[in-house]
Amino acid sequence: MPSKVVDALKDSFKDNVTVLSDNGVEDVIVLSDKKLLKEAAKLIKKIHDIVFLITVVDRNPTFEIGYVFSNYVDKSILNLRVNIMQDDLSIDSITSVFPSADWEEREAYDMFGIKFNGHPSLKRILLPEDWPGHPLRKDFKVTDDVRNWTGLDLKF
Amino acid sequence: MNPLDNKENSAGEFSYSGLGDIVFMKAEKFIDTVLNWSRGWSLWPVTFGTSCCAIEMMTFGATKVDADRMGVLFVGDSPRQSDLILVSGTITKKMARRLLNVYEQMPSPKYVIAVGACNISGGLYHDSYNTIAGIDRIMPVDVYIPGCPPRPEQFQDAVRVLRKLIQQNEIKRYAKQSS
Ligand code: SF4
Repeated sequence: MPSKVVDALKDSFKDNVTVLSDNGVEDVIVLSDKKLLKEAAKLIKKIHDIVFLITVVDRNPTFEIGYVFSNYVDKSILNLRVNIMQDDLSIDSITSVFPSADWEEREAYDMFGIKFNGHPSLKRILLPEDWPGHPLRKDFKVTDDVRNWTGLDLKF
Repeated sequence: MNPLDNKENSAGEFSYSGLGDIVFMKAEKFIDTVLNWSRGWSLWPVTFGTSCCAIEMMTFGATKVDADRMGVLFVGDSPRQSDLILVSGTITKKMARRLLNVYEQMPSPKYVIAVGACNISGGLYHDSYNTIAGIDRIMPVDVYIPGCPPRPEQFQDAVRVLRKLIQQNEIKRYAKQSS
């Protein structure tokens, strides 16, 4: 059974969406243009209530951001993927549409350094705020500087 | 000096080297010795448990091992009335500040027990970007308890060793403060 939300997305975005899986239970679609994300999120909001999680995969030089949407009525989920390039790591925030994306976006910023435009308070969530670097990127190396960093002004 | 193979005090582990020659001491050392003798018997801990080792620390306070009979009362849980901090669990870099914050609130004769491999060297996470590889990088430590996690009996032993170190005036950090 094809899902309503995938049909709606195909109707409004035409060539900009690629459907990888459309079985009404676990749909996977790829959005080719990151500028359309917020518009797509508003459309998805009509059917899905929450964003479960936001994942980021570093496929050097592109970063693949995955949004997992779901709802409280049936168990279907929608997996929306957006690719962004390494030299422009910014994307629109969908926190204004889905409030549960707030901390997920902060975590993605913390670990990968992706800037979410329009996020209400984009700061680190897991690491200390003055911590240098973004540790889950592929080009991040655990050097002695990182190992010995304590962030403390120690006198002894 | 390792207190465990201290052959001079062969009267057993419940003798106090200081008390034997109390008559010949300087007054300053006499006060230290008496104070330290009493401090050793009432080590109230701050239970700073952050992960798995904390579960064993709870067992240390529970019925079978029973920390209370050694004077380690798990009652306060306020750093301001404690003189021992049991750091059990991985200390992340974000937590390091909070740990020091708690440590600095404790009144001055304060002792630190580092529990588990994580607090000795980083343990499983020694090469991680987000853990302190051994809390002796950020604060002074008196007794280490090895293990991942250590058994509750090892906590008991650590308190016994710490008490012995205190009562033998081996912990010098606070020696000057009584004069
Ligand atoms: S030493 Fe082992 S048991 Fe203790 S906190 Fe570390 S990983 Fe957990």
